[in-house]
Amino acid sequence: MDLLTQTYLFYSFSSIYFLTLFLLIYFQNKKEMFEIKKPKKELSLSIVIPCYNEGDSIGETIQRLLNSDYKNLKKIIVVDDCSKDNSYEIIKKIAKKNPKVFACQTPKNTGCAAGAKNYGARFVKTELIGFSDGDSFPEKSAISNMVGFFNDPKVGAVTSRVLVRNRNKFIERLQAVEYKVIAFTRKLLGFVDGIYVTNGPLSIYPKKIFDEVRGFDDRNLTEDIEITWNIVSRGYLVHMSLSSLVYTVVPSNLKTWFRQRIRWNVGGLQTINKYKGKWFKCGMLGSFILPFFSFSWILAIFGILVLIYRLIRTIILRTLSMSYSTKVNTALLTMKEINLSPNALLFFGIATLLMGIFFTLLALNYSKEKEFKKQGVLLILNYTFIYLLLYPVILITSIYKYLRGYKSW
Amino acid sequence: MLKSNKHVFWEALLITVVVFLFGFLIGFLFESGRIDDVNKYYANSEISLMDLFALNDLVNLNSSSCAQLVESNMNFADRIFEEAYLMEKYSDANKIDTEQLIIHQRYDLMRTLLWINLAKIKNKCKGFHSVVYLYEYNQEDLVKKANQNVWSKVLVDLKNKRGSDIILIPIATDTKISSLQSFIKKFEIKEYPVVIIDDKTVLEKITSVEDIETYLN
Repeated sequence: MDLLTQTYLFYSFSSIYFLTLFLLIYFQNKKEMFEIKKPKKELSLSIVIPCYNEGDSIGETIQRLLNSDYKNLKKIIVVDDCSKDNSYEIIKKIAKKNPKVFACQTPKNTGCAAGAKNYGARFVKTELIGFSDGDSFPEKSAISNMVGFFNDPKVGAVTSRVLVRNRNKFIERLQAVEYKVIAFTRKLLGFVDGIYVTNGPLSIYPKKIFDEVRGFDDRNLTEDIEITWNIVSRGYLVHMSLSSLVYTVVPSNLKTWFRQRIRWNVGGLQTINKYKGKWFKCGMLGSFILPFFSFSWILAIFGILVLIYRLIRTIILRTLSMSYSTKVNTALLTMKEINLSPNALLFFGIATLLMGIFFTLLALNYSKEKEFKKQGVLLILNYTFIYLLLYPVILITSIYKYLRGYKSW
Repeated sequence: MLKSNKHVFWEALLITVVVFLFGFLIGFLFESGRIDDVNKYYANSEISLMDLFALNDLVNLNSSSCAQLVESNMNFADRIFEEAYLMEKYSDANKIDTEQLIIHQRYDLMRTLLWINLAKIKNKCKGFHSVVYLYEYNQEDLVKKANQNVWSKVLVDLKNKRGSDIILIPIATDTKISSLQSFIKKFEIKEYPVVIIDDKTVLEKITSVEDIETYLN
């Protein structure tokens, strides 16, 4: 068996293992997927919203939070990070009208969401502290569906399900599919204490624990991943409430989408680096989250390198063969060359593809959104075969940027 | 954690192993089936080769005609050429079973015997040309590999064009067949691929069908 076959088998094994793992977790817990816990006590809560140039959406974000059915939502602290647009004026206007809303501004632009979030956290006096984004829109019941998870004092964070609001452009629709799959996967990871990120659009933490981890790391580009690892490393649990819906605005063009993904991936690498000493320590952080995260990276990068190597070799071989065949005037490809003989690798390839498509369909079906019916097969195929295949470019660029010390938000 | 679910990691591993074993079994069945096919072809070809040798002896005893011998050699060469094509396809598809390497070797030995036989009968019987293509089975050098790709196509074109008077014998030289190594020593070949026409002309550079034909006239 040659090295390439062994590599292919290793990849097939890993893919089938993780898909089987997720499907098993799903089938064993499907009744609890949308579980809502009734709070033993309505803990007091403040929500901090960092805002930078979000004049178009911040008003609606605040209004959505004001409409929340959670009775003990004490404060909505909106932190303007020295926006260049009219965000601060809008925030102040709303704050004037509504005593629940508190408007503040950082002394100077912090350059990252973590800076503004930490700044806002200083004003929080409640038992729970939550965070939302200036372009995210929580549903009325989102918060109340989350708070019950804090009945367990070991719970250090509860996160929500984020879905895409803008779905007109093709790239937005692809992200809509992606967000649903991510939410579904994250919920499944929650059943094995494997949630590795508490998203920016809506996550809640006990204030005591938030202070214990010293808030968000403002040197990390994905402060939401970092804080989750920090919380898990201290033995706390992280849950996700699939019934807590938050809609967010996603990038509308390839350039902003690419920038966002680079930031996410560089942040991921920063977090792996920060916690590299925690392998097989600190409970699920060291025994699952860190290995799972790192393994995904290693697998992806190694796969890309093998693919690039194979691609370059094939291109060189084809080019040389073409040039020789032109010289001697002979046809290079004939019908006889087409080889359709099945083998074990084909079986594994088909098994992985079918399992992957089944998992995606399951995740989409679980979103319980009317829009799913409109998505169509074509969009799912585009998501599977085009969108996901763009990821190698992002990963390679992210590593390059990470090594070059990329810090831009 | 809502439930104690960590055993799911082991359950998933177990299922994956079962899926993998099942996949290997299916793959192995396919590959074994193909190897069985090739073995059957080989057994028939071996009989044809023995028959050819017997015919050779008969020609030496003047009990049979040269025309019949040449025709038999031609048919045999064509047959094992077709089988080589099939084997090449099977080799590309077979990923688990390594028996194909031995079959390759056996076929290369058979082709070497055919070549030696042709050399033997050449003085006695005319009316055919031998075109022997020597290449390397495990070629990693891309330039040489491309060269080999095109050479094989040129030779197939040649065979299609001149079918009746060409005996085309492709032999891999990196299969450790000592008789082959000994036989090709006299051609002083420095690197592969090469094409040897009628055991006289050695073509090292890729050549068009038309140019090869000039050596055949």
